[in-house]
Amino acid sequence: MERPSPEVAADVPAAWTRPVVVVPVFAVLALVGGQLPSFSVAANGYVLVLGGAMVWLGLSGRVRHRPVPGRPGRGARWWLLPAVVLLTAEVVTFALGSTDEYPTLSRLADPLLAMEPVRSACYFAWLSGFWGLVRR
Amino acid sequence: MSISRLLAIAAFTLAAALVASVEWAARREGSRIPTLGDLCAGVMRYRVGRVPVGRVAVLGLWWWLGWHFFAR
Repeated sequence: MERPSPEVAADVPAAWTRPVVVVPVFAVLALVGGQLPSFSVAANGYVLVLGGAMVWLGLSGRVRHRPVPGRPGRGARWWLLPAVVLLTAEVVTFALGSTDEYPTLSRLADPLLAMEPVRSACYFAWLSGFWGLVRR
Repeated sequence: MSISRLLAIAAFTLAAALVASVEWAARREGSRIPTLGDLCAGVMRYRVGRVPVGRVAVLGLWWWLGWHFFAR
């Protein structure tokens, strides 16, 4: 059988990187992650292993990257607007102690993340975002 | 609910609404605003010598966010 040239082979994404594989895998990983309560050793280990694997994939070049867009122009300044609002709110509430009166974002999220379905959904979003960054 | 708590929630909601608005504007035909994904890709291209500093920083930040919300 004729072997494909290296150029052609490099253009074909690996089968395991296709959505039909990645989405169910992330769903299972998110369901497991949703069962692990905050501050537990298991939760720490799980997020460190998953994140470590993603960072390794992102830096090792084993996943084909999307085409690189042009360098962001002046229009990118619009992103400063939400960034400044978010950072200001986070810094002020953190400086004031991150209490019920002055909650940081993570303090507001804690009661929601205590619910397993919400926690699993957020885990799935985190993994999907990670995958998007790995492929950039 | 105290006023200060309400203000904090309003500020975070405003930030989320602004993210959605800028992303929406970026996706319009002919927009000069990059999408959030394209902005991340631009930051991730930053290198110092052979070290992909931008890539390490963005992936590291996302990793830390997951740890902060799900584990700590």
